[in-house]
Amino acid sequence: MPRLNDVTDTFLWGGATDRDADPIRRALRHNRMALFGAALLTSAVAAAALAQWIAPYDPGATLQVTVEDVYAPPSAAHWLGTDDAGRDVLTNLIYGARVSLTVGFFASFISVFIGGAIGTVAGFFGGRAERVLMRFTDVVLVIPDLPLAIVLVALTRPGLINVIVVIGIVGWTGTARLVRSQTLSVKQRKFVLRARAVGASNLRILVRHIFPLVLPLIAVNTVLVMSLAILNESTLSFLGLSDPSRTSWGQMLNSAFTRGAMSAGAWWALVPPGAGIVWVVLGCSLLGYGLERVLNPRVASHHLSSAHPTSPKSAKTKRGHPHQTSPGTEFSEAPVVLDVRGASVDFTASGCPPLHAVEDVSFRLHCGEMLGVVGESGCGKTTLMLSLLRLLPTGGRIVSGEVRLSGRNLVAMGEKEMADLRWKEMAVVFQSAMSALNPIRTVGDQIAEAILRHEPRAKKIDGRVRELLDMVGIGPGRQHQYPHQYSGGMRQRAMIAMALACRPTVLFADEPTTALDVMVQAQILDVLDRLRRDLGLAVLLVTHDLGVVAEICDSVLVMYGGVVAEYADVDALFNRPRHPYTRELLRAFPDLSRPKAELVAIPGSPPSPNALPPGCRFAPRCPDASSRCHAEQPTLHILDGRHQVRCHLVESNSGVGSAHEPFRRT
Amino acid sequence: MTHCRFLLGKAGGALFTVGFVLVLNFFLFRILPGDPARAGVRDPRLTQESQVAIQARFGLDKPVINGIERVNPLRLGSFTVNPLDTQFFIYLRNLLQGDLGISYHRNRPVTELLKERLGNTVLLVGSGQILALLIGIALGAVAAWKSRTAIDYGALVGSLVAWSMPTFWLGMVLLFWGSRWLGLPIGGMITPGATFANPWDARMDVVLHMVLPVLTQTIVYVAEYVLIMRTTMLDVLSEDYILTAKAKGLSTFQILKDHALKNAALPIVTIVALNLGFTVAGAIQVEIVYSWPGLGQAIYESVVRRDYPMLQGAFLLLAVSVVFTNLLADLLYSYLDPRVRTA
Repeated sequence: MPRLNDVTDTFLWGGATDRDADPIRRALRHNRMALFGAALLTSAVAAAALAQWIAPYDPGATLQVTVEDVYAPPSAAHWLGTDDAGRDVLTNLIYGARVSLTVGFFASFISVFIGGAIGTVAGFFGGRAERVLMRFTDVVLVIPDLPLAIVLVALTRPGLINVIVVIGIVGWTGTARLVRSQTLSVKQRKFVLRARAVGASNLRILVRHIFPLVLPLIAVNTVLVMSLAILNESTLSFLGLSDPSRTSWGQMLNSAFTRGAMSAGAWWALVPPGAGIVWVVLGCSLLGYGLERVLNPRVASHHLSSAHPTSPKSAKTKRGHPHQTSPGTEFSEAPVVLDVRGASVDFTASGCPPLHAVEDVSFRLHCGEMLGVVGESGCGKTTLMLSLLRLLPTGGRIVSGEVRLSGRNLVAMGEKEMADLRWKEMAVVFQSAMSALNPIRTVGDQIAEAILRHEPRAKKIDGRVRELLDMVGIGPGRQHQYPHQYSGGMRQRAMIAMALACRPTVLFADEPTTALDVMVQAQILDVLDRLRRDLGLAVLLVTHDLGVVAEICDSVLVMYGGVVAEYADVDALFNRPRHPYTRELLRAFPDLSRPKAELVAIPGSPPSPNALPPGCRFAPRCPDASSRCHAEQPTLHILDGRHQVRCHLVESNSGVGSAHEPFRRT
Repeated sequence: MTHCRFLLGKAGGALFTVGFVLVLNFFLFRILPGDPARAGVRDPRLTQESQVAIQARFGLDKPVINGIERVNPLRLGSFTVNPLDTQFFIYLRNLLQGDLGISYHRNRPVTELLKERLGNTVLLVGSGQILALLIGIALGAVAAWKSRTAIDYGALVGSLVAWSMPTFWLGMVLLFWGSRWLGLPIGGMITPGATFANPWDARMDVVLHMVLPVLTQTIVYVAEYVLIMRTTMLDVLSEDYILTAKAKGLSTFQILKDHALKNAALPIVTIVALNLGFTVAGAIQVEIVYSWPGLGQAIYESVVRRDYPMLQGAFLLLAVSVVFTNLLADLLYSYLDPRVRTA
């Protein structure tokens, strides 16, 4: 079945709050880390380069050593005191930076070169080369590096070059693994496949297409490898395995340790060299860590982020939109279970203007009714659904309007009360059951958990779980299996069974059939349809698929750019669509009754919530837009029954839309 | 079935690695300049008789392996010699019999010396690891849970700083002030020459000697584990099943306990095992600073005294233990993760 948009719902799931609302702050924060690290490193490099001029003494010249000069405490002449041979600690500290940085730089270069070569060859050529190389890497990875380095240096003659080479050749495994996986993933990108298809040579593909994408990662990795190399160098020097003719920090610590600084109480011979090592290594790790986060951003807020906003003090319409009363209830005589009035959702992050993700949404859901929420990706469908459950990520919440569930206002409810209500009254079937089920707990266990949460004294849990699974057509033998042992469709049905565990009144289903094959989709929808009829469940179905809506929904909410474009009973919407967006959606959807009709995709894409057009949100893509549409936001017009449309054209020309051929329900 | 194959594959990999380590260990000590294996025979610390005995015991007058007469300087030899009559075979045979040679410095079998020290290292590293794992996992989990708060930044920056400190230096600093201010012992495992009224006091004496070295290791590993756990936990907490758990109405504590920690702990098992090399490096440094009579100190002593058989033996023991601990971790992982167990 075709979808309106194959792109996943980046609006919410792509982490809109992190990516769009806060890019500068985030980049700055991570860069701040990187900047600080770079500052530490630069100052160390400067000290090493300018050692001749800034060091107070000449490192080679031994002073007139008298007894007082040995381990002399810090004084005006020797800011950091003297060591066992009466040498100035500060001078040695500055000159010591040279060895650390030289070894760090060249050794990490060797490591990254070996690791990079092995990783690239393994990732790019695959096959036997990859197997052999990666097996070799795994083998070397488990050999402890410091003992190996000690053995290697001890067996050769200690010297700067030897130390560099040895540290270089024990530290490449991490790079090899990293580069291999990155090369592998780049290799499968479309542009590489395309280059290969037109006959580009391996070398050309590597140099032109793969290296540019692998290099930034290697650069960051180099900085981290360097920090390890510097630590290893200091340890080897401390063990006396370094070039005795050059002062290094590890060597200073070696003489402090072996020549009585500890018993002499000469902390000044002990602390500064270590501080020097920390200075440089911390510089590397901060730089690497900061850069890595910029290069490879991770969603910084998660589902349990503690900075969760509390409910607003007053949940009244604040934004100046005329409050729309919900239209008449012609759908059924059944009682209203969920009544949403003028709900608006904002994402807020400190230092940024709030992001209006959903504005002024109103609808009513009756017992046994199925409401389809449709619209392209990024129109706020999932945001709306999660906001009703108050499950939005940090910073996202309903800022105005009311959400009444069987009479109680959810917006003003306390967190604890809300948690008691979740699943008991409102359950969710998420988009991908594979990721929505915990992979390391059995399906039955996860269903039982939901029951026990809301009915702590429930008995015969096992039997109830079996019954629930049976209801969605899953055999009793499957109860104690793990999600990965289920097929895709079964997982989704198990998710539905779990959602029904506490007999909720409202079920939210977020694209429950995405990524399932057609037969399984039909199965799932069938289960949903049957259950709501049998159990009187009210269902809010978020979907891309108009065919599904036509088939099983009673009413439809069309969302565009965070607002309701049109809200109507399913017949009215398909046969008398009033909003141009709805009509465009229908035209983009194949109709079996009109096989000759042309499928027309809507050009452009929905607006991002941080760049909303000043007028009607659909105006830039609307075929019928007038100058008024571009300038002024339309209000919601109530037509007959509960048919609502947010469009200027409805008032100016009520005949709009009549040109559309009736859509026949299948 | 697949699970069985997985286990066999892991065991095969471990055996392969041990084989590689054996070969590496053999050639390393012959490739490098001076051919310590041969030079050792003329070590002045050994009597004439023991030199002859060693020569015979390790077959040092025999070819290294088929096709190679000497390694350094390289001299190719005949391929047709009896493979059982080569140095490599004799090395393997001796190894199987638990014979790692005789320490030049102490004039005692290396195997015996290593045996005495292994227990001490396990005691020290084990205590440090367990403490660090408990603290590091808890702290990392809290940092991830409270992400983007002062707690998180504090844990992150603190860990990066602690991670940047060389273990031996941290050990020296703690030793310097720990012995001065707290009167803790300055090194060793027991107070020399002390006699104890009962075994309990003797044990307490060891514990007192352990405080600083264990603290040193704990600080360094905690930093490592906080960084790992925080990242893993951030990934887990962003998973959809956490949202499901929240939608079910579970409390934050329940979600952390029943859904997040267990899932985050799985990758930790593997990562901790892979970090064992790092642990070994830390143990060597701590043992040297605190004169703890373990394997690390043995390595240091043999480097200083050019005691090659001891160095070779200690390296082999460390490498093989890391390989086997890794294998154990793999087995544990496959037992803990149902996706592997029931695949």
